[in-house]
Amino acid sequence: MARRTKLTKLTKLAVLPALTLAMALAGCGDGGGETDEGAAGGESNVQLVNEGKLTTCTGLPYKPFQYEEGGDVVGFDVDLVDLVAEDLGVEQEIVDTPFDGIQSGADLNAGKCDLAAAGMTITDVREKNLDFSDPYFEATQALLAKKGSGVTDLASLSGKKLAVQNGTTGFDYAQENAKDVELVNFEDLGLLLTAVETGQVDAGINDNGVLYDWVKEKTDFEVTTEFDTGEEYGIGVKTGNKALLELINKHIAEAKSSGKYDEIYEKWFGKAPESK
Amino acid sequence: MALSRRKRARLIRGTQYAILVVVAVVFALTADWTRIQQAFFRPEVVREMFPDVITVALLNTVIYTGLGFGFGLALAIPLALMRLSSVAPYRWISGIYVEFFRGLPALLVILAVGNGVPIAFPGAILNKYLALMVALGIVGSAYMAETLRAGIQAVPAGQVEAARSLGMSPMRTTIWVVIPQAFKIILPPLTNELILLTKDSSLALFLGASISEYELTQFGRVALNQYQSLTPVLVAGVCYLIITIPLSYLSRYLEKRGGGKKISSPESTGLDVTP
Repeated sequence: MARRTKLTKLTKLAVLPALTLAMALAGCGDGGGETDEGAAGGESNVQLVNEGKLTTCTGLPYKPFQYEEGGDVVGFDVDLVDLVAEDLGVEQEIVDTPFDGIQSGADLNAGKCDLAAAGMTITDVREKNLDFSDPYFEATQALLAKKGSGVTDLASLSGKKLAVQNGTTGFDYAQENAKDVELVNFEDLGLLLTAVETGQVDAGINDNGVLYDWVKEKTDFEVTTEFDTGEEYGIGVKTGNKALLELINKHIAEAKSSGKYDEIYEKWFGKAPESK
Repeated sequence: MALSRRKRARLIRGTQYAILVVVAVVFALTADWTRIQQAFFRPEVVREMFPDVITVALLNTVIYTGLGFGFGLALAIPLALMRLSSVAPYRWISGIYVEFFRGLPALLVILAVGNGVPIAFPGAILNKYLALMVALGIVGSAYMAETLRAGIQAVPAGQVEAARSLGMSPMRTTIWVVIPQAFKIILPPLTNELILLTKDSSLALFLGASISEYELTQFGRVALNQYQSLTPVLVAGVCYLIITIPLSYLSRYLEKRGGGKKISSPESTGLDVTP
């Protein structure tokens, strides 16, 4: 008798998770359906992963391209994507997520966001996993070190520690070009900069835009050299998402011709762009 | 209900099987298997990852965990004794410590140690192994101290009385009679703590690491970028299971053995001195 009661209890316990799983699966199916139908936003047939919102994936902090200030994510990339969101008549919502998921296309494929604007350089490898917009920013890799540390280029770092950020073009550049240098791999720019600041590493490599912005405040440090890598940033969308890509390209071109681009550039970099 | 009890039980069991089958079929039909295969099972990527995934990543995970566990245990013993001390401030300090660090996410403790120490002491260069030993040790010690306290309290009072009546000092009694028996009691939960710490060691990636310092998670994520495939994540996952599944078997085995022992030494008499 006692045994039987126990059995029934166990049965109930076993059914519950199975039910929950079934419901979760059904839920997933519904979600997929909605995406396929697409949200009717703006004038175009752009389909959004979250109805009524243009969801952007980015890896914070990446000042001045995107960073948090007073509870909001702001920056150059944010203003640029806002032009697209305005056209669609929706708000931009920003999702902060590790950069390796962004640049590998995993986040876009998983439907985490509509587009990725993360100060991301257009590369052949990345192009295989996502579609890039037209370039909107020129960048090179640069070296950050403490003033007077004697670190002037990669050769002077021999036997020392160089901080790199996981999944970035700076990581690739350092791996190919920095011989006899110990590369220390960091999760995001903020952790990398902290390590440089506290002296855990001798120098850091990252895109010039963000490093110049950082040394404005941290005057003990300087950008000692730039490596002419000739990179260009692009906004990423899921492979095959033509409608959104065309809309983004249209706005990049329009902003450049109308002077809006210069305006945004000056707002975040404090000077007019040298080239577009 | 017209159904007999046995019939009802059969019906319920049948429903459970049916649900299981439906869920499995729905999953099998809706999942995109070619995409899953491309993302997670690329044999050439797996081949590329060897032998470093074992000789560097798995090894470092074990080292970080082992260091953290050792340091944590060394902290936990005084903490547990302080918690049971007759001196009130000792009890308070230990209590606050345990509540504080048990309530914080492991990631925050790791970031606080890894970034906080160099900020607090300018010029200090923190060794990665040392930083993780301290951070994981602190995280583990809070749990282990509580486990150990429970273990010490579970040692039959007769054991202490017997030792004291043999003329052993309170200190000797604690060191040679109470703590060894407490450890025997808490071996299964301690093994569980080791499993938890193994997984917490993945957070080491937030402190940054050079190639020779990669543990499994960071190794997997760097490979994910390199090969643009989720296969490394799967490989790293399997490596964690290589560590944790034997540990959980060990834990269950110890539990079974410990349970048997307990019956043979009933607490009621309080006079049983079997080792």
